[in-house]
Amino acid sequence: MLSYASSSGHPRLVIAAGLRTPMARAGGVFAKEDAGHLGALVTRELLARTGIAPDAIDEVITGCVGPPFDQANVSRVIALRAGLPRPTPARTVARNCASGMEAVTSAATNILSGLGGTYLCLGVEVMSSYPLIYGPAMTNFFARLNRARSGGAKLKAMMSFRPSMLAPRVALVEGLTDPTTGMIMGKTAELVARDFGLSREECDRYALQSHQRAMKARDLGRFEKEIVPVVPLGAKPKQSSLRHDDGIRDEQSMEALAKMKPYFEKPDGIVTVANACGITDAAVALLITTEDRARELGLKPLAAIRAFAWAGLDPARMGLGPVYSSAAALDATGLTVADMATVELNEAFAAQVLGCARAFASREFAQKHLGRDQALGELDPAKLNPNGGAIALGHPVGATGARLLLTTALELKQKDQQFGLATLCIGGGQGGAVVLENLGGTGA
Amino acid sequence: MELQGFPFPANSPEPGACIRIERPEEGLAVVILDPPHRSLAVLDAPLLRDLDAAITDLESDPGLKGVVFAGREPLKFAAGADIEGISSISNERDAHAIVTYVHKLFQRIENLRPQTVAAIGGPVPGGAYELSLSCNLIVAADDPKTRIGLPETQLGILPGWGGSHRLPERLGIPAALDAIMTGRLLPARRAWKKGMIDRLTYPHLLHQIAADLAMGREKCKPRRRKGMAKWLMDRNPLARAVVRRSVMKTVMARTNGKYPAAEAALDVVLGSPGRSREQAATIEAEAVAKLATGSVCKSLVSIFFASEAAKKLGRGSEDFRPRAFSHTCVVGGGIMGGGIASLFASKGMDTRLIDLSRDALDHAQAQHIFDIEKKAKRRRMTRDKAEAAIDRLTVSESMNGIANADIVIEAVAEVMGVKRKILAAAAERVSDQCLLATNTSSLSVTEMAKGLPHPERVIGMHFFNPVAKMPLVEIVRGAETSEEAVTEIAALATRCGKTPVVVKDVAGFLVNRLLGPYLDEAVRLFLAGVDPARIDHLMVDFGMPMGPLRLLDEVGLDIAQHAAASLHEAYGERMTPSEGIANMKSEERLGVKTGKGFYKHDGKKGNKPQLCSDLKRFQESKKARDFSDEQIVERMVFAMVNEAARCLEEGVVANRQQLDLATVFGTGFAPFRGGLMRYAESLGWPEVVAKLDRIGHERDVALRKGGWAKFKPAEWLRQQVARQENAASSTPPPQEII
Repeated sequence: MLSYASSSGHPRLVIAAGLRTPMARAGGVFAKEDAGHLGALVTRELLARTGIAPDAIDEVITGCVGPPFDQANVSRVIALRAGLPRPTPARTVARNCASGMEAVTSAATNILSGLGGTYLCLGVEVMSSYPLIYGPAMTNFFARLNRARSGGAKLKAMMSFRPSMLAPRVALVEGLTDPTTGMIMGKTAELVARDFGLSREECDRYALQSHQRAMKARDLGRFEKEIVPVVPLGAKPKQSSLRHDDGIRDEQSMEALAKMKPYFEKPDGIVTVANACGITDAAVALLITTEDRARELGLKPLAAIRAFAWAGLDPARMGLGPVYSSAAALDATGLTVADMATVELNEAFAAQVLGCARAFASREFAQKHLGRDQALGELDPAKLNPNGGAIALGHPVGATGARLLLTTALELKQKDQQFGLATLCIGGGQGGAVVLENLGGTGA
Repeated sequence: MELQGFPFPANSPEPGACIRIERPEEGLAVVILDPPHRSLAVLDAPLLRDLDAAITDLESDPGLKGVVFAGREPLKFAAGADIEGISSISNERDAHAIVTYVHKLFQRIENLRPQTVAAIGGPVPGGAYELSLSCNLIVAADDPKTRIGLPETQLGILPGWGGSHRLPERLGIPAALDAIMTGRLLPARRAWKKGMIDRLTYPHLLHQIAADLAMGREKCKPRRRKGMAKWLMDRNPLARAVVRRSVMKTVMARTNGKYPAAEAALDVVLGSPGRSREQAATIEAEAVAKLATGSVCKSLVSIFFASEAAKKLGRGSEDFRPRAFSHTCVVGGGIMGGGIASLFASKGMDTRLIDLSRDALDHAQAQHIFDIEKKAKRRRMTRDKAEAAIDRLTVSESMNGIANADIVIEAVAEVMGVKRKILAAAAERVSDQCLLATNTSSLSVTEMAKGLPHPERVIGMHFFNPVAKMPLVEIVRGAETSEEAVTEIAALATRCGKTPVVVKDVAGFLVNRLLGPYLDEAVRLFLAGVDPARIDHLMVDFGMPMGPLRLLDEVGLDIAQHAAASLHEAYGERMTPSEGIANMKSEERLGVKTGKGFYKHDGKKGNKPQLCSDLKRFQESKKARDFSDEQIVERMVFAMVNEAARCLEEGVVANRQQLDLATVFGTGFAPFRGGLMRYAESLGWPEVVAKLDRIGHERDVALRKGGWAKFKPAEWLRQQVARQENAASSTPPPQEII
């Protein structure tokens, strides 16, 4: 477990500005997108809107779980394609679902250690372009064929082909499976649901609420400040831009949700594709710097980073990661759950969010797993994901961590309140949490 | 041998100065084309003379093992034949003699006993490549600057120094035909893939590798077409006949039979297999002699020189070099603004497109992405360049992100107040060095600059629709516009692949001012009862890319009417528009954009628009007047000629050369006629004045309520007549200025 809290001796870290693309259902509007383009697009727009000179950026840090094969260090590709000067370094970081948040905390620790002062942090994921991969049988076949020199040897190598070799490995599925337990993420949510005795109906109701809140937020123009419309690659003439997250289902209902079959554990599981987050594509860019530097750049910070924490737990119950990390982050600051005016807890699965809520409120859980006497504190349902979450909006894995921070910061501004918590669970059994503080003044 | 009839340039050096022979080692001679009077060698009279002497030298050297032909630098070989010299030859006999002379010279190079190697790089067009073709091997520098090809047909001639038979021999008929008929200059790698050169190397190794090849230290197989393919295609009369038919069809579709070079080249190339060198030489010489002395070639060459001169506008001077813009901003996301933004972005500039409407921005960006991806798919653009072009266009609903712009250009509605407000708002957000340009087609740049800080940086940059296709940009110099701004905009236009013409800030500038009377006459003829199909057909036949009525549809009837009204306001009586368009125009009838105008446009590709069936009811005279074809064409063309004369009189454009260039690139005026004034001159100035007088006195013109004055011969024309008469009475005749 690691945690950091700001103190008077440290420079005050801030999110100076932020912007994101809409999140699009994978295989949909962004089907022909690539991470380099989406990242560059949102970066260019952020620089244009803030008026920051590209050479003011000290480094670009991008969180991405599955960079395209031809963009291994996708961060560098984004930096160059966004027109940043060539001398500016760039790196890609990964902490699975929290990669976008990792980019921000990496920047924070760099600044605290005196290395640079202005970081462009991105979270990018184009799950549409996750490939199918040849299995080892086919790979070996190609290797044999390549090694064969004489005509006879070539023929012999070719004869070793079997149609079964063509069976692909699906990068998306394998990426969402924990290799140490062999469990796909949905199954860990089922485990959490059983631990806390959650019902299918509860989960579906939560999913419905996510859509309804997202819809309302969208219609009130709540997302306008964070989303830049995108005309995607592969656009046809007269095509319109995608202006909102397209996973929000306006017509979602309990009946429709009830009709869904359990996806991961048939027949008695409770996790369906409708009460889980969607596979999505998006990019988020945040400018991380110090309060003083932000002022020099002529920017009014969105929020200060008050604390952050990373924690590990049982990979089979990875969904409870937010409980562990939030406890660590709050403890570091001396604040409590009740101080949090808004909590963005990533909705990987409805069951997992509800499980976290139970754990937050449970004294027993606190004593057994967190080594504390009292419960962490109840999460007020009204303050938990007030604008909906990943179930409606989508969960582009590497981008989500950054998206939660942006949404939390803007929500604090919107409501003119002081503290907010952004936290998420991480495949492989970790949790990440960041406490943000509104520095006053409304509007970005 | 004697070189006859080929004029020597004024600054020709002494004999022997153009060619240097170096002998870096035993048995090797390096022939370096190094004329002191040219920055890039040109195969002109003095160079050919010296080359002749050099070859004679080499022929008498028994110890020679290898010969290399090279430029003075790896990326400076030679720019081809001396076009200026060739275009000044007016009699066929001289032209014939020159071609035959060079043929013999190149034949002697081919016959040289030692191994001959051409070491080429940089631009290697036409004659320079034909020289290389006479060597045993061609090695080229692999560099983006290298462009190789035979562009002669573009200038109305054909490859006459052996290219028309040596290239088919090398590549086979189909590939050679493609190269010669399109006249494309290919980058090194593509030329290598096609077999036009034998080996590629780094520029810095070019001369070394060439020497190694010549001396046999390095092996390289010459690439020639042989085997079955050669027999099945090149030596097979049936296959050749089939090729001829299909190529002829596309040639006719493209040229309408107005460009004899294409047909001649086709015949010469198809007939080349099996011919002896001597026969080939005779045939090429005859064909070139005829073409080079013809009017089409002269016209095309004059346009070529005019466009070369236009490209130099943006070069600046010793004291002032234009900046290379890196950031641009386009305000207005309509067809024009979107097109300009797309162009800037694809030419390597970070471009911010601004419009109040998100829909307009979306459409502009979608179109940009679609066009660029299409280019990448067709390999017109490399993947990385395409990605960069797409990344570089960003859009915004508010005026932000433009602080570092080098130029802001507006393309919003033609309303002075709006345009001025936008430029003023932009001026607050950009540096004082940023140019403020307007794409207006009808408003005064001087007016617009009033009240703006630094009016010297306000300038007109008028693109034509569609931006991607139209090659002309009118640069409008306002009263206070600085010379530096003009140079920088010219540089920008050139970088965008456009040809700039600098014009004065008068209503309609140059092109629209000329088109106004032309289109008005077309409408008047239509009203007088002439069949609209006939009007358009005659003008296409004359050499316009499309008929005037079809053009009106493309422009949009509302836009055309607006333009005509502003011309009328500025120039008075002679620009009085007829009522035709006003009567025809309606909400649903605005031309292509509404699917209906003079023609029905169904918007489908490949479907030719059909004339509307209800046009008769708009014609004032039901009975078609018996105009002759000639009369119809003259009405429209001479209306333009007379206005052009007025433009020259007023100094709207610097000279006739640029005016002709603008008519060809801006209105599509038949290139084979060399532009509007060149065409008028070819008729003779007295004839032009007489015709204008005659048209002006025709009954229907004289009875017009307004608009007859457009045929009153301009003062400039009368001066030309007077000057010609003076010249005739006194010798010598004045030098022709192109």
